[in-house]
Order: sequence, then structure tokens, then C-alpha cells
Amino acid sequence: MRIACPFCGERELGEFTYLGDAAPKRPSAFADDGSEQPDAQDAFHDYVYLRDNIAGEMTESWYHGGGCRSWLTITRSTTTHEIKAVKAAPGAGARVAAGLAS
Amino acid sequence: MADYLWSTQSPLQKALVPGRQGVRSGEAGIALTEMTGVAVVQIMARRGRWAQTAKAARAHFGVGAPDRPMAAFGKAATLVWSGPDQFLAVAAVDGSAGPIAAMSDAFAGNASLSDQSGGRCRIRITGARARDALAKISSLDLHDTVFPVGAAAATSIDHTGVNLWRSADVAGNAVYNVLVFASFADSLWHTLVDAAAEYGVDVDRMALPRG
Ligand SMILES: [Zn+2]
Repeated sequence: MRIACPFCGERELGEFTYLGDAAPKRPSAFADDGSEQPDAQDAFHDYVYLRDNIAGEMTESWYHGGGCRSWLTITRSTTTHEIKAVKAAPGAGARVAAGLAS
Repeated sequence: MADYLWSTQSPLQKALVPGRQGVRSGEAGIALTEMTGVAVVQIMARRGRWAQTAKAARAHFGVGAPDRPMAAFGKAATLVWSGPDQFLAVAAVDGSAGPIAAMSDAFAGNASLSDQSGGRCRIRITGARARDALAKISSLDLHDTVFPVGAAAATSIDHTGVNLWRSADVAGNAVYNVLVFASFADSLWHTLVDAAAEYGVDVDRMALPRG
């Protein structure tokens, strides 16, 4: 498998490490008025521990540690390994990542 | 308090044996040289300040800062792309003040600088068979059409992270430069010598010329 890093170009799999599902978003423990969210514990348990076991296309976080040391968001099929898209994860580099990842 | 004497020594002190290595008949196909006296500064643009950093680099080094995997050859330093919105300034050691003193004003407020001089080892690989030796240990396409003079890459060789770039040809042969973390230099050196052995290797150590 080869991955086209938006910064480096196409590289072998060995230069990358896999983190996992890029979909989970960190929940907020507090509401806008500062009060504690009643379901915060469940939401955090879900965020930290529970993962979908997708057969098909999913978005994943990968790290180009053997190259430019950028985090990437990759859309990949878990059944065929086909990669549909590779983007710089938010925060890569000093510019707005979205503008670079074309 | 104890006084410390910070003297620099090569991470290849033991591994590098000057002279002919590998196949001994015929002309050596590879010249493998440790470049000593190398100052390395990591320059990372701060959030939203790449344009200012690039402008400062042009004013200070006289060449544009690389914003993709390229090396730019300035009069006093080579700028090697090392990741998005960051690059390495590689130069000959000049004086005892350290390399940051001369450039901190130029980048103040726009980029973060860190001195990596003692932490990296620079190895030069050239000769008629240099690309053949590297092809065994690097997964990059180093053909002239893909990796010409001025090309650079942050990549891994033998599971070791390196900055690789190609500088001007010498005697009609490609010149590849590798910058590797000092603590991995010994291991990578052995890998390079092994890959080059069948072509015959001339091993040497040389101070990076100034300017
Ligand atoms: Zn990369």
C-alpha cells in the first residue's frame, strides 16, 4: 500500500503509522452557560472507548512520522484498502491546512 | 558547580574507517563522506506567519524558502524543506557564537528557531554508482527526471528518518546528501557501506567548506 502525502508525495506504508477512526469528536463537559452536561460521562465513555467496526469506507487518522511528521486524514475502504482521499489534518503547518491539501 | 567542556565529536568516530571499503579492484563506484563542521538550524513558521517567514528567509539567505520538498542553495546556507512551513538551514560552522545568533533578529516574531547542529550528522554520497546503492535502501525514485538537483525529501532509510537532498553534480555524478539524527548515524552508516560495498567505496571525512 502506498499513501500520497499531500506534502511529500506518494510514499510507502512503512513511513506511516495508523491512529484509527478520525470521526469521533471530543464532547464538551459543559453547556454554554457553564453548567455540567447531564450526559457528559456517557459522551466521554463513547468518545474514548467505543468505536464502529466499519466494513467499507471510513475516515482515519494517519501520521507521516517517517517523513514530514504531519497528521493526515485519509478516506479508505477497510475491505479493499482503496484510498479515496488524503488531506492534511487541521493544524498541519503554519498555514490553514485546508488551503494546502488540494 | 562542576565545569563542563562541551567538545564536539563525530557520531561516526568508530564506524567511519577512511580508505577503500568493499570491492577493492577497479575504480570505486561510490564516495562516502562524512561532512563535519555542519551547523543546522530548524526554522518553523509560527501559525499564520509563513509568508513573513519566507520573506525573512529571502532577505537573510538570499534564496527563497522551500515550501515543498526542495533544497535552495544560498550563498551562506542551504535551505532544506523538512515539512509543511518549516525547513532546515544547513551551513558551515562559523565562529563559536552558535548559528542562531546571526539569524534570530531576521526571524523574530515570525518563526521559531532551534539549533540542531550537534544532533545531526551529514553524509555525502556520490560517484558513478551512488544511485544504484541508494536504490537498495531507499523507497524513493531517485531517477534524474524525478529527483534532479535541488530535489529534497523527508523520508526513511532503513527505518531511520532522514532529510535527503541532491546538490550540484560533481565530476558528472549526482551528489546526494543525508542528514540523520546523530544517535542513528552509526547504524545508517553501516547500512550505506553495506549497500555500496559491491561497487567499491572510497570513505573519507571532510569539513564542510564555508560560504
Ligand atoms: Zn509527508
